[in-house]
Amino acid sequence: MRILTKLKFQTKIGFGIFLIVAAVALMTAIPVSRMVSRAIIAESRNRGLVLAENLSLRLADAMLTMDLLRMKIMVDELKTVGQDIAYAFVLDDGGNVLAHTFQKGFPTELKTINTAQGQTAHVQLLDTGVDKIYDFAVPVVISGRRFGTARVGLSRSRAEAEVNHLLLTFAGLSAAALAAALVLSSIFTRRVTRRINVLKQYAQEVVRGNLDIETASTLERNCWEIMTCGRTECPAYGKPRHRCWHMQGTLCPDCAPVDSQGRKSCARCPVFRENAGDEIQDLAETFGIMAMTLKKQITALGQQEQLMRTILDATPDLVCLLNADGALLAVNRAFAAYLGRSEADIVGKTEADLFPPEEAAPRQARNLAILDSGQGGQAEASVATSQGRRWFHQVDVPVRDTAGRILGILKTARDITEVKSIEDTLLQAQKMESLGKLAGGVAHEINTPLSIILGYAQMLQDDVPSGGQVQEDLRIIERQAKVCRKIVADLLGFSRQHESSMGEMDLNASVLEVASLMRHTFSLEKIGLELNLAEGLPAIIGDREKLNQVWMNLLNNARDAMPGGGTICVSTRLREPEGLLVVSVADGGTGIKPEHLDEIFDPFFSTKGVGAGTGLGLSVSFGIVQNHGGTIEAESPAPEDMRPAGAAGPGTVFHVFLPLQPQAKALPDPAAQATST
Amino acid sequence: MRLALRATAFHFAWAGLTRLTLCALLLFCAACGEDEPARRVDMSKRQETALPTPASGITYAYLPQYSHTTSYARHHLLVEYLAKATGLPIRQVFPDTFDEHVKMVAQGQIDISFTNPFVYIKLAQHGARGFARTIRSSGRGEFRCEIICRSDNRALKTPEDCRGKRWIAVDPLSAGGYLFALGYFHDLGIHKQDFAEITFAPGPGGKQENVVLAVLAGKYDFGTIREGTLDVLKDRIDPTQIRVLARTKAYPEWLFAARKGLDERVVEKVSRAMFALDPANPEHAAILKAAGLARIIPAKDQDCDPVRELIRKLELD
Repeated sequence: MRILTKLKFQTKIGFGIFLIVAAVALMTAIPVSRMVSRAIIAESRNRGLVLAENLSLRLADAMLTMDLLRMKIMVDELKTVGQDIAYAFVLDDGGNVLAHTFQKGFPTELKTINTAQGQTAHVQLLDTGVDKIYDFAVPVVISGRRFGTARVGLSRSRAEAEVNHLLLTFAGLSAAALAAALVLSSIFTRRVTRRINVLKQYAQEVVRGNLDIETASTLERNCWEIMTCGRTECPAYGKPRHRCWHMQGTLCPDCAPVDSQGRKSCARCPVFRENAGDEIQDLAETFGIMAMTLKKQITALGQQEQLMRTILDATPDLVCLLNADGALLAVNRAFAAYLGRSEADIVGKTEADLFPPEEAAPRQARNLAILDSGQGGQAEASVATSQGRRWFHQVDVPVRDTAGRILGILKTARDITEVKSIEDTLLQAQKMESLGKLAGGVAHEINTPLSIILGYAQMLQDDVPSGGQVQEDLRIIERQAKVCRKIVADLLGFSRQHESSMGEMDLNASVLEVASLMRHTFSLEKIGLELNLAEGLPAIIGDREKLNQVWMNLLNNARDAMPGGGTICVSTRLREPEGLLVVSVADGGTGIKPEHLDEIFDPFFSTKGVGAGTGLGLSVSFGIVQNHGGTIEAESPAPEDMRPAGAAGPGTVFHVFLPLQPQAKALPDPAAQATST
Repeated sequence: MRLALRATAFHFAWAGLTRLTLCALLLFCAACGEDEPARRVDMSKRQETALPTPASGITYAYLPQYSHTTSYARHHLLVEYLAKATGLPIRQVFPDTFDEHVKMVAQGQIDISFTNPFVYIKLAQHGARGFARTIRSSGRGEFRCEIICRSDNRALKTPEDCRGKRWIAVDPLSAGGYLFALGYFHDLGIHKQDFAEITFAPGPGGKQENVVLAVLAGKYDFGTIREGTLDVLKDRIDPTQIRVLARTKAYPEWLFAARKGLDERVVEKVSRAMFALDPANPEHAAILKAAGLARIIPAKDQDCDPVRELIRKLELD
């Protein structure tokens, strides 16, 4: 079966035709042979019966006259009628043999082995051992009286030999016909398959991408020559290998109008009637038109695809198309870049192959939900990437065919990390502003009673004995009241951030001023200050007092982070490309836990003990820097190159970025920003 | 995919061929038939045949103007009746020709002869004696000769037109089939030599019928037959194709004659039995009808004198 399957088409057709002819010949020859055989035997039998009846009739006169010679002549003549006549003899009414054709005596058994009853003939097949003989017994009746019996023996074996001879001849003729059929089918299949092979070569050319094939032959007379139209603008004009009846938009005025399905009816057209070929030629011509049309379509499709690819690749959004099985059918360049793979490497894979399990699982769950519900969806998600955690706005849309069946899902993801950052910043600012207003109001209300408490505490000290317990208690009240006033002053300062006096200032001078003030105090707590100020920094527009407060807050925080002493490194530098001045304050202290990095700029957040801090220092500093158009970030642990030598802990470094031009806010360093919030 | 398609196509083709082959086998089986049974016979046991001795008795013969089977059909009932009525072993014999009939009577091989008057005159010359004559179914004791030709023969309109034509007659010894016509033409002045040809019908037997068939075949221009022959052939030919050109005058009917030397007692018994046939008797009527007779009556030699006169006129003595 497999071998037959591998046979060439030509061989198959030839073999098939031969088998069909052979089968039909067998179907015809076998029953016909049998029927002919039967008919010949039956005809032979009838012939024998006719001969016997004829003999019977002819015997009448001879029987009446008992003319034995005539009887003998009759039976002998009958024997000469044909070689298949085995014998003939005549019996009288008493069963006596009157005449016979046998030599050397009459076979005794033959006389009675077949008897005609009444006046009806009887036929009996006899087997002599060497031959089969039809024995015909026909009574000789004259005027209703039976005078005797005419008996004729007809060799059936001879008839069968004749049949066999006929069948042999028939078989020979059939074999000759089969051979002729084989030869003719071979010629026929060769002619047919030769043209099919040409078509196959054309098809292979198309498969190889060569659509510039000319499958149709040239004509003796082309359509414009037959119609003498002279319409050079007709699409069929001047194309000798393209048939006009396959082309759309021809301009021949005699063309029948197309039907509802756009097909031409060219049966009566003289061009069609002269040039139309058979089905294979028609197929070849159609094939050529198809290739030409295909080429046009592919070209247009390629242009469309290129356009779509350009659009897709130009967008920064991550775009991908999945089929219903979750395999990626297409991605754009941004998507491939996001995954750090080539498009070819991505297409065909599933999201489980491309994303880590904790990310792939929810993606696939969303896919299933969309495929089940047919409803798209959108969401914002924070994703950990090689570039850090980023926010994406994802829109998933089901893709349907014309029948409305869902073929797949189109996914787009837009990086909204910056938008989210801006939103957070805005939220923080709003929160600060609200807190500032609240704190200002509270501080204003508290300030008056607090001044009274402080005033009375100071006055009472004068009224009590010096050195006594009461005086000591009053001093405690006075000291704590001053702490409270300090807090209130900070609150007021926090609430009045917008009230600043901006002017040109030297950043290094501001840092040096604060460092000078703090150095002595810090030295008492075994804290050293190490300044690394860049020279030649350009002046900035800022509020010197406010910025001094920022440096002071940062230095105090650094000090508090190193209760056992240490060194604080303060550096300034210019980041010229971004137009920023950077002040970094680094300590070698305990550092900030990662989970606190997002909260340290919130008001009243503090990791210090009760009474050790107000939790407003960094919030105030954040607000001041923000008012200068800059940003403040914390980095912990501190980078090795910035951490003070001999640091006991991981340390923390605060960076303050201040723009050279306040109105043109510089973008923060994305790398630094990753740890700022 | 391509392999699958090829396999599928081939599968269908193979299934078609299988069905075709099955059909062929079915047809083959349908064409096969059971052979008929044969009886075994040993052809080697042989012996020489021996014929039984011919039966003896009174022989009766009918002048073979018709075929033997017709003669048998007409007279075998009469012969059986005579044998039964007389108690004599009478059997019918069949001479092939008129001449043979005459010779057999002369030689004593035919005891009782049923013959025409012309032959009777010949037999009488050999000592035979007529003892009974017949009355035909028509009621007449005479019969005539008919001159016939094809209906489409426009050359023969009157008997005189037969001059110079080809003539087929029954037999030179036939009365109704030759002699009467010869006398008729003689009266018209037409003699034997005036005909282009005179031929007699071939025997044995069936001579009257042969004349009709020869004329019908166009082999001869006209023929002469005994009156009543066309009735004998009415089931074998189309009677309208034959035209009776003329009829001769009537002569005495056929008669029964006993050979010379036949025992008078036998003749007496036979004649008495013949005369006893009564048309009113159904059994006798069937016998008479088969023989084409109405009755059998006594005869004497003088009854044939008109024929003797004709013979003399024609100088056939």
